[in-house]
Amino acid sequence: MAQTQAQEYPEITITLNVNGKDYTVNVKPYERLIDVLRYKLGFLSVKEGCGRGECGSCAVIMDGKLVPSCLVLAVQARGKKIITLEGIAPPGKLHAIQKALLDTYAMQCGFCFPGVIMAAYYLLSKNRNPSEDEIRYALSGNLCRCGSYLRFIKAVKLAAEYIRKGQIYFDLKK
Amino acid sequence: MASPQAEYVKIVEEMFEKKKEFWLIGQYIQRWDALSKMLGKAKFTADYAYLFKNLVYVYSVRAKYAHARIKRIDVSEAEKVPGVLKVITHKDIPGVNDVGYVLPDQPLLAYEKVRYIGDIVALVVAEDPYVAEEAAEKVYVDYEPLPVITNPLDIVSFGGLKEKEHPLIHEERGSDVIARFRIIKGDVKKGFREADVIVEGEYRTQFQEHAYMEPEAALAVPEPDGGVTVITSTQCPHEARRAISKVLGLPFAKVRVVVPPLGGGFGGKEDVANEIGTKAALAALLTGRPALVVHKREESIIGHSKRHPMIARYKHGAKRDGTLTAVEAEIILDTGAYASLGPFVLWRAIVHSAGPYKIPHVHTEGVAVYTNNVYAGAFRGFGNPQVTFAIEQQMDKLAEELGMDPVELRLKNILRNGDRTVHGQLLDHGVGLEETIRKAVEATDWYRKRAEYAKQTGTIRKGIGLALLWHGNSIGAEGADYSSVTLIINRDGSITFRTGLTDFGQGAIQGLVMIAAEILGVPPDYFRVEQPDTSATPDAGPTVASRSTAMGGNAALVAAYKLRQRLNQVAADMLKCSPEDIEIRAPDVYCKSDPSRKIRWVDLVEECFWRGVPLQEFGYYRAPKAVWEDETGQGEPYFTYTFGTIVAEVTVDMETGKVTVDRITTVYDIGKVINRVGAELHAEGGAIQGMGYALMEELVHDENGRVLNPNLYAYYIPTIMDAPKEIVALWVEAGYRRGPFGAKGLGEPSINGIAPAIANAIAHAIGARITSIPITPEKVYLTLKRLGKIKL
Repeated sequence: MAQTQAQEYPEITITLNVNGKDYTVNVKPYERLIDVLRYKLGFLSVKEGCGRGECGSCAVIMDGKLVPSCLVLAVQARGKKIITLEGIAPPGKLHAIQKALLDTYAMQCGFCFPGVIMAAYYLLSKNRNPSEDEIRYALSGNLCRCGSYLRFIKAVKLAAEYIRKGQIYFDLKK
Repeated sequence: MASPQAEYVKIVEEMFEKKKEFWLIGQYIQRWDALSKMLGKAKFTADYAYLFKNLVYVYSVRAKYAHARIKRIDVSEAEKVPGVLKVITHKDIPGVNDVGYVLPDQPLLAYEKVRYIGDIVALVVAEDPYVAEEAAEKVYVDYEPLPVITNPLDIVSFGGLKEKEHPLIHEERGSDVIARFRIIKGDVKKGFREADVIVEGEYRTQFQEHAYMEPEAALAVPEPDGGVTVITSTQCPHEARRAISKVLGLPFAKVRVVVPPLGGGFGGKEDVANEIGTKAALAALLTGRPALVVHKREESIIGHSKRHPMIARYKHGAKRDGTLTAVEAEIILDTGAYASLGPFVLWRAIVHSAGPYKIPHVHTEGVAVYTNNVYAGAFRGFGNPQVTFAIEQQMDKLAEELGMDPVELRLKNILRNGDRTVHGQLLDHGVGLEETIRKAVEATDWYRKRAEYAKQTGTIRKGIGLALLWHGNSIGAEGADYSSVTLIINRDGSITFRTGLTDFGQGAIQGLVMIAAEILGVPPDYFRVEQPDTSATPDAGPTVASRSTAMGGNAALVAAYKLRQRLNQVAADMLKCSPEDIEIRAPDVYCKSDPSRKIRWVDLVEECFWRGVPLQEFGYYRAPKAVWEDETGQGEPYFTYTFGTIVAEVTVDMETGKVTVDRITTVYDIGKVINRVGAELHAEGGAIQGMGYALMEELVHDENGRVLNPNLYAYYIPTIMDAPKEIVALWVEAGYRRGPFGAKGLGEPSINGIAPAIANAIAHAIGARITSIPITPEKVYLTLKRLGKIKL
């Protein structure tokens, strides 16, 4: 009995760095980065909303670029440095953007949040004083069906303010 | 001795009448799960796959045709693929092969026929998701294609809504009309004879996709006693349990449904959850291993219910002074291949089919019909956004004919306290509609803008439009309408909160916690909200129909009230003051008359344990009975209504047809604001989703019933670039005696009035009316061109 294509391909060993730590995993050549992050390494903040790079829920930073991890093959991430939501603040701390999203009461279902936070984090890493238009543009790849968009704009402005004041991390306990 | 019903109704009414000061209700309170979600730690259903070992993966083999007879299904080749454990067909179903919600018309696994492109003929269960998907290509089905019907006007026609001759989609039912409802009041012929002005129009609305960000998922684990535990993304755990039990042939007690956080729902995770939970459960029981089902976005879009498209013809008559004399309408809803919640959606559409107005003569009638399109079911608003789109444009057309301002026309006809609805229902209190209009008009500087924009001549033009809405709360005459909450005060003073209502982002559960917290005097952060779990949380009815706050809120209120009575007794004993004098403000408990007489909350709790005073309470609330006369639509269909006024301000480019929504102002009478955060988020979220409905969203089928845009790159929902500059949310709190502190629901009402307000604003800007949504740039452009308003 012939094998399926999925079974015919051999596994490849790759090493990638996630949130500052190296991981070595065996992957099939067709495996996506999102699946490796989620199901092999347990970075469950990375969410799959569409599998087509349309919704932004799976956004991570790979070697300094914001990418949809559903459109990246795991083998393409070989040797790359990846940052997920789990890695934007030290343990026990909130990043300024997370604090600002809490301050503006933006949370609804939360499924798009990891992607939104990564896109905002990416913007703020390049621009500490973004205008409303710049914020809209930076988050234009992140769909939110609950409709927290206007709060995202407020939150990114507030986070930028925190960061400009040197407040990048906040204690988790209130 | 008072009946139990009298007791909980008495408690709710007593709280409404006596409690005027609030320490918590109406504040901005962060939802309990905000932090865990912010940190990415909240686990959604698919995340559980990482926590289980030895999973099997389930892939659904779907129909090749939208309408065909199945002659033979051959799974032998697929079963030979290494890694495939089992291919499940209808023959393997131990119980009843049906997941229909209202009617038993929807097989889980198709056998005689497929009726739409999402029908499932087999489930491939494999060790690997990729293998499952590849093996699915080796499932051979011998089809005999049948004529595909995608247009509901091929099933029924206007002028009586009689069923036409056509090949039946559901032969077993003998008809493709699934439901028919009407309102008959007075004599419409007489009403139109009395009218000085009559306006008519045909309105069309489209299939709308929920597009919740989390596609459906379920993980089922076989239990040693032959039962099954299903972790699944559902709005209605107890409904999902019923469906899974039926298909598996198991008693309810052996099926446990657990609901993690949901990444959105909007009504879409009502009945599809029955299907996916059942698929996972079936695979788990047949393989003896944990089974995972995760829909890809394409499967989600073709495989779950949509908002019903509507085609409606309306006729309104009024006197010269604007007084409405008659409304007549014929309404057709396309429910697609299966009934889903279609009969109830149609019923809600008909109940609201004349708008929140006093009208002496009414005849509205509607049908829901099968087609071979993707099935339609529950979606925020549930039939009401469709009819509101028609009614509110009719009102604007009437205003235009009469030379009246749209606001003045509405003020002339709206429902106020003491009026009767078109169903003959007396609304003796709690009707804040007029105040919503006045607030909206004032906040938007309506009259000035209305006059100013009417004079524009340039390429870029502004428009301002409004729409009114009403929305019956909860499920009304659809079925048993109850809710429940369990509160457990633990020995350390923390509180366990349990309800079978779910949170799919809307935040209603936080409101329920606040209601209990308000009464107990214990801050919300003492509470822990448990996951809905049919083995632990009480059946609270479905999480639908804007009922969580109005119904579950009362259950929380009743439970907290009873606990508070007991706590006050014990505290009074400890502090030597009267029970009425006790104030609880955890961490302290003291006498109001002498706050220096004080104990700690934990000490009061501990004392209750020593004295044997139980600190668990079950709160139950049953809605007042709804009444509906089928022949006439007279009665009391819902126990109360939420009211609202929406004002939309738009800019239209007269050369390209592009519409930009600048500002949406929403004023809702929700009786009482419970959590200001939740209320505002609803106003904003509903406005944005309604804007998508008005301007960009449409699921498109080709003539063969195939969906042309089954992913988010082709089904457009609003992005942050489309979001208006501003959404202003204002409130009226007219108070409903049998709501918790007077509160009513907002979940669905928040979308009802958005599309008509935007359509009316566009008509104001361009001087032409577009009566079908979505109002795409193309439609605006072609309309302007047809009317000679554009030179290009």
